[in-house]
Formats: sequence, C-alpha cells, structure tokens
Amino acid sequence: MDTNQFILKNKPLPKAAEPIIEKMTENGQHILFVIVGDLSLKGKYSETALIFTETDVTTFDVSVGEAKTIPYSDMKEVQSKRMYGNATLSAIMPNGKREIFFRYTYAVAALCDAAALFISHINEGAELNEEIAVMTVTFERALSVCPKCGRTLLHPGAECIMCRSKMKIIKQLSKYVKPQMKLIIVCIILSLITTAMSLIPPTITGFIVDVVFPGGNGTSNVTVLNKIAEYLGSDSGKLLLTMISLLLATYIFQYGIGIIRAYLMRTVGDKAVAALRTDIYLKAQYLPMKFYDKTSTGSVINRIAGDSATLQQFVLRITQEAVVHAFQLVGIIFIMLALNPSLTLYSLIPVIFIVIATRIFSLKIRPYYRRIWRRWSSVFATLADTIPCIKVVKSFTGEERSADKFKTKNDDWLQMDLKIGKLATAFPQIISFMVTCGSLIIWAIGGSKVIAGESGYSAGLVVSFISYAAMFYNPVTFFANLSDSFQGALASTEKILDILEAEPETQAESHVMPDKLDGKIEFLHVGFSFDRTKKVLDDITLTINPGEVVGIVGTTGSGKSTLVNLLMRFYDGYSGEILVDGHNIKNFDLSGYRAQIGYVQQEPMMFSDTIFNNIAYSNPGASVEDVIHAADVANAHGFIARQPDAYDTMLGERGVGVSGGEKQRLSIARAVLKSPSILIFDEATAAVDSETEHLIQEAIDRLIAGKTTLMIAHRLSTLRRANRIIVVDNGKIIENGSPDELMALKGKYYKLVQIQSMTADAEKMREEERL
Amino acid sequence: MSDSESKRIYVTGDDEITVYENNLVNLKTKDGQFFEKLEPRRLFPVSKASEYITLLDTDGKEIAVIRNLKDISKESYEVIAYSLNDYYLVPHITKIISTTEKYGTLHWCVDTDRGIKYFDIRNRNHDIKVYSDGRVRIRDSDDNRYVITDYRKLDCHSKKQLMPDL
Repeated sequence: MDTNQFILKNKPLPKAAEPIIEKMTENGQHILFVIVGDLSLKGKYSETALIFTETDVTTFDVSVGEAKTIPYSDMKEVQSKRMYGNATLSAIMPNGKREIFFRYTYAVAALCDAAALFISHINEGAELNEEIAVMTVTFERALSVCPKCGRTLLHPGAECIMCRSKMKIIKQLSKYVKPQMKLIIVCIILSLITTAMSLIPPTITGFIVDVVFPGGNGTSNVTVLNKIAEYLGSDSGKLLLTMISLLLATYIFQYGIGIIRAYLMRTVGDKAVAALRTDIYLKAQYLPMKFYDKTSTGSVINRIAGDSATLQQFVLRITQEAVVHAFQLVGIIFIMLALNPSLTLYSLIPVIFIVIATRIFSLKIRPYYRRIWRRWSSVFATLADTIPCIKVVKSFTGEERSADKFKTKNDDWLQMDLKIGKLATAFPQIISFMVTCGSLIIWAIGGSKVIAGESGYSAGLVVSFISYAAMFYNPVTFFANLSDSFQGALASTEKILDILEAEPETQAESHVMPDKLDGKIEFLHVGFSFDRTKKVLDDITLTINPGEVVGIVGTTGSGKSTLVNLLMRFYDGYSGEILVDGHNIKNFDLSGYRAQIGYVQQEPMMFSDTIFNNIAYSNPGASVEDVIHAADVANAHGFIARQPDAYDTMLGERGVGVSGGEKQRLSIARAVLKSPSILIFDEATAAVDSETEHLIQEAIDRLIAGKTTLMIAHRLSTLRRANRIIVVDNGKIIENGSPDELMALKGKYYKLVQIQSMTADAEKMREEERL
Repeated sequence: MSDSESKRIYVTGDDEITVYENNLVNLKTKDGQFFEKLEPRRLFPVSKASEYITLLDTDGKEIAVIRNLKDISKESYEVIAYSLNDYYLVPHITKIISTTEKYGTLHWCVDTDRGIKYFDIRNRNHDIKVYSDGRVRIRDSDDNRYVITDYRKLDCHSKKQLMPDL
C-alpha cells in the first residue's frame, strides 16, 4: 500500500481499514491524516481509525466493520473529553443531540484534542493549510515518544536511550573502570604471581609424604625438588627443615604481594564507584521536575547512597577476588592435569552439580531480590517522608501512627528478607557439602589405587591432590556465590541506570542567549497537562511588555503557578510556544536563561549553610559588599546583623533558626543579587504576618523597579504596584487588564476584591473592638 | 458544619435519576428540585468504586452525592452504573499472558474484560501498586489504568509473571 505510506498517521493502519482508504482515494477524496485508535465506541479494545479529509471525517471500527462518514458542516461544538482511562470525541449533530463518534485511550488523546480543534477551526473558516501544519506538528510530537518503550525522546526522531543496546549495563559500568586500567594491569600481574605462589605448597607437601617421610615411595616427579633431595643426601631431618623453610618463604612471598594487590584493587574499586556516585548526583541535579514529581526523593536518595554502595561491594569483589580466583582455577586445573589426568577428571565430577545448582538458584532468587528492593525502598521512602515532616507528625500526635506505619513496612521487608534468607544461606552450605563429597571421591579412588600399588599413584600424590582439589573448589564456590551478589548488583544497577539514563532537561541544539533580556514575555496558545488526565493550562495567549508589573490571581489550582513553572522551564512538555524577547524559550541556553530570572517562592528553601552562602547561592562569585547590598535591598540586613554570628550564622536543615518572614527576605536577597531581567514572585507574602509583609513588600518594590515582574498573589494588597492583572481560572485567562478596568468589569477580580476588603473590614472592626 | 456541607444533597431511594445524554444524568429530588446535565464521578475511584458518587454540573460544581449505590432505586442505579462504566475505563486484567523487560521498562500482554491489550510500564516500582487486599493497580506509559481484582486468584502462569513485583 504505497499511498498509505505517505498518509500522516500515528500507527500503521489496521488491515481492514485499507480498502476504505483505497476507495476514498479512488473517489477523489484527499486524505489529510488518520488517527489510529484502540477502543470501540462501547469501550472494548479494538482497532479503529479516524480518517480526515478536507470536508469530512470517517470513523471505522474493525470490530464493527462499518465506516461512517460525517461532514464537518454537520458537527457543532466538537469536543474532546478526557475521562478516566478513556476519552471521547463528540459533537452536536443535526438532530440537536451530542453524539460520541470516537472513543480512545490516552495513547492518542493528544492527537484527538488537536483533531477536535481542527474540525472546529475548519468550521469557523480557518485556512486549511495552516490547520494541517498544526496537525503535522502534533503528529510529530506524538512520534517523539519511543514506539517501543514509550519514553519521551530527547528530540523527535532521536534514538531511544532505553532501547539502544543490550550490553548497556556492562558498557555503562566499564566506563567507570576504564580510567583505572593501568592500576588494574599492575594488579593482574601481581595476581598472577600470588596465584603461582599458592600453587607451590601442595606439591611440596606431596614431596614430603613421598620422599621425606619413611615408608614413602622415595621418588617424586617434581624435578626441582628431586635435585634438592639429591644435594642434601639422605638426611631426612635436614630435608624436612628445608622443605618447611621453602613453604614458609612461599607463604611470605604470596601473602606479602597479596597485601599490595588487595590495596591496589580496593583503590580501583573505590575510585570507580566514587566516580559513579558523583555522576548519579550530578545527573540528579539536571533531571527535570517531571522526574521528581513522579519519583519520591527518598528513592532518589536511596539510589545515590544505597544502590551505589551495593554496587561498590560488587565491584570490589569482582576486581579483588574474581581475578585471583579465575587465575587460580586455570592454574590448578593445569597442574592437576600434569600430575594425574584421570584423577583430575574424577575430582571434577561435583563441579557439574555445583554449576547446575548455581543456575537454578540464581533463577529462583532474582525475583526475590527485586521484591526485597521494593520493600526496602518503601521503608526508606517512609523515612524520608516523615522525618522532614516531623512537625506535622507531632502537632497531630501522629508519632505512634507513623511508627506503626514504619513498623509495618519494616516488617514487610523483614518477612521477605527472612524468606530469601532461607534460600540464600542454604545454598553455600549445599555447595560446601558437594565440595566435601569431591574430596571423598579422591580418597576413595586415589586411595584404592595407592593400595593396589598402581604405577603413577602414591600417597603423596593423593595428599597434594586433596589440597589442590580443596583449592580448586574455593574459586568454584566463589563464582557460584558470585551470582548472589551479582543479582543484587544487577538490581541496583538497574535502579541507578534509571537515573543515569533518564532524559535530562532538554537543551536546545541552537543556544541563543542575549547578554541581557529586555523581558518581553509572550505565551502563544500554551496548553499543559501533568499527567494527560487533566489539562492544567488550556490555550493561554498573553503578552507582557518589558518593565510591566503583572499580578496573576486566581483560585488555588487554577493554573497560576504552572504558568510560572512553564516560564521557568521546569516543564517542557507543553503545547504552543512561550517567547521571551521574541525567542522561543526552548531555544535558549537553559542555565543562561534561568540566570536571568529571579524566582521567589512561597516557601523559600534554605540550605544548611551560612546566611552569606545562602544569599550568594544565586551568584557564587559575588563580593561581600554585593551580598550586603542585596540584604539591604531585601530588608534583611537588619535582622542578619542582630544574629550573634551575623552573616556567618549557620542555617540548620531547611533553615531552622530564622523565621518564615526572615527566610523570605533572604530569598529576596538571593533574587536581588542575581540582578535578573525578569522577576517572579510566587505568593511570596502568603505565609507571613502583615508587618513582615510590609517589610517584604518594601523590599519587593525596590527590587522590581524597571523589571518585568510576575506576581502570583492570593492577597490582593500585594498587587498594589501591579499595572496589569490577569485572572486565571480553570487553566484559562478569563480577565486581563488594568486593576481599574477589571473593577469596572465587575467580574471575578471584582468579586475577589469585594470578598477580601470585606474580610479586611471585619478584621479592622474586630481590632477596634479589642482596643 | 460548613456551608457546603449543610447544603449538600444526599441522594436517597426516593430521588430519581434519569439519563440526559451519553454519560450525563438528570436528578429529580423528592422535594421537587430538578437538576440536569450532571456528571456522576467517583470520589474514591481507587478505594471505593460504589460509594460516594458525586454529581457535578457542567461547571464542575457538586450538586449531590450518592453515599452508596445500594441506597438508590434500581432504576437510578442502572443509570448511574452505565454512566460510571462509560466514564471510568479501568480494564480488569484476568490473565497476564506475557511480560518482558528491558532496562526497567516492562512490556505486558494481558487479557482483560475488554479484550487483549499490549502496554508498557515505565517504572515497575511506581506504576504497579499492590494493596494488602490482593488488588493490584497498574498504570501504563500512556497513563491508562488497569486493575487486578485479586492477584491471589490469578492462574499460576499469571502469578508467576507478577511475582517479582509483589
């Protein structure tokens, strides 16, 4: 179907829809685009299609098999309605009733929203080409989601980070090991030496049994040792002493080098994990707000602290022990084969069982590790959520409740850990048992051959074989148990990759950044939804000129703060455009752009650092006097100077030690120091008393002179400096004008003023009564 | 008692609920008040599917509340049940046919009361919630919801697929 390839669509067309499209094309209809949906009108899963031409729309449902065409001119008030798990397109039909003509899941909701606007605009007489252009952009955006995993891509058509390569986990980790390559090579050489050393003693003990002790067969197949025996003659005492000295020398050499090697290996492992941890933290700083909305901070902290520690242990095990054990394994097999090939094969029998048991075990235990992680993460999240909110807990005497909640989660973890404990602890014991059985085989077979006096077999051989076999099983059990920590590490790596590979805040390819912004802000048809279920902002169009002071009012949840969040580029997934000084803000260099915006929040967050550093956070290079000046402007210098440690006062966690109003002034000082072109106050005075409000207000007045200022406020008194007021309601701008104009309009703003002045009057009256 | 609470109408068996159009309903109370174009919505869509149904007018203002669907007449119940079923599309997963995983993103194929569905779960830790009563709620990468009424009653194969996330 060559023609189909060129039709704009979100998914391949259902096979059953192809004849319909063919027929439409034959009839000379020009198909503009097709939305492939997934629900029947009755809400069952099905394959559906919504085919748009220049004049009408055709709906098709595979489960019904019939197509229905409705001319645009027959549809009035076309509406896309998002419900719960599904959404509908409906219109008022010529019979006067609202009819639903398409039902779909959220997978195509964005496209259908645009399609509803498309039909409405066409009916209103809009230019067809322009509307098609809008739809094309919407389709492109729909394709900017990975078709495989659904993650939003960095830019449309980009390769999905998650679906890229199978070796990624190993690749990612090897990135951190590579810089240590030189050290690793040194360590490997040292490992070779220690391994070789560790292989000497069993040969010497075999020699002692066969040659030194009376009753032995008097010869050995180790030439070097035979030569020593020849040199020393028949003095058994001397020979024994020499052999013991030889053993001692070997041990000293082996363990001495072992210490150096272990230290170097530890350095390698630590360095790799430290680099990884720094990277995760760095990455976490650049993750978009959207990530933090969905992921609890507790689980992010756990990944940086906990999971990287698990990984550290694993990396240490791999670099330190695995290398040594691998060499040992090869070396021992080599020597055993040289000593006696058939006895070697017998002693290898348990290995088969060990390998099989390990495989079964690792398959069984993996899901349990995930379950443990889930529970542990939940314990940690409870911690991270309740400790910072301890004030709320105490004020509602919820200590016991939160302790209970914690206990439940912790018990959950305990149960699961105990369950896995049974498996995890039994396994090494079973392996050890198998190893012991291996030595029994050597005793039985080797022993009986020695008794039978078979050539090539001696008591010494059996003794050295037993030692080698024990040494041989050591690495085998190590590798068998390695799967245990490997599984844990894999689960942790997955969590870490979740952060490392999450898309960071999108950076435009072309970084435009004028030195200084004039501060002209334009919102063009901006729409936004956090989770696709509810539109928080809907078709916002707004122009703010440089130097204007604009008050944004509206009830809680009306979308005021979201407006500002979009301007700050905390969220990029909106439709429409936001321009500053005529440039799309998505094309700005993100940090350069944010540096030009002063943002004062309702609840200013302070770091556990000095007051000076907290103010200077916005401009780390600021001089002492710049900071003091900023504090002056913010009406903060006075109270800072009164603190015993003044600017050196350490603010505790979350700024304990200063009041809410003081913190607010510190955060204004922060904004002053930045000397931004655009200022945003998000309910900056909502949480302070009237007197403090006055101080803050003064500070704000000084700060905003000549700067484009957006002020979100509940208290309308805060907005007395505003020369324009915007009233936001349900994600839409319902009023926009000077305070006087809006008062004259007698709309929502008028109502709010009335209510607030009434409250203010009542307060005044109460105050007077008290006096 | 706040103002809104004192005025709140609780629908009882004597009040009458009829269809307006699609999922919208009309309410006629026994004392003769009449409201049209109301949309029934669950106040507890996750925990209490058949209790506390609010009736919102076109501005999203609450007009009345049904405490429990058992409290209203059979005719009214049918209207509300139809409307809720229309509004809330939360397929019940009856069988987990397959699950595959790639770097934390799960790809599920399930059988539901609404047919077979393939979907992706971006983050198994956040998007699969298991409740102590055996319910499992799942959110896919498009923000659609699914529910397993009781995972303990699933067949062995399905349970095995779900096991790591319990």
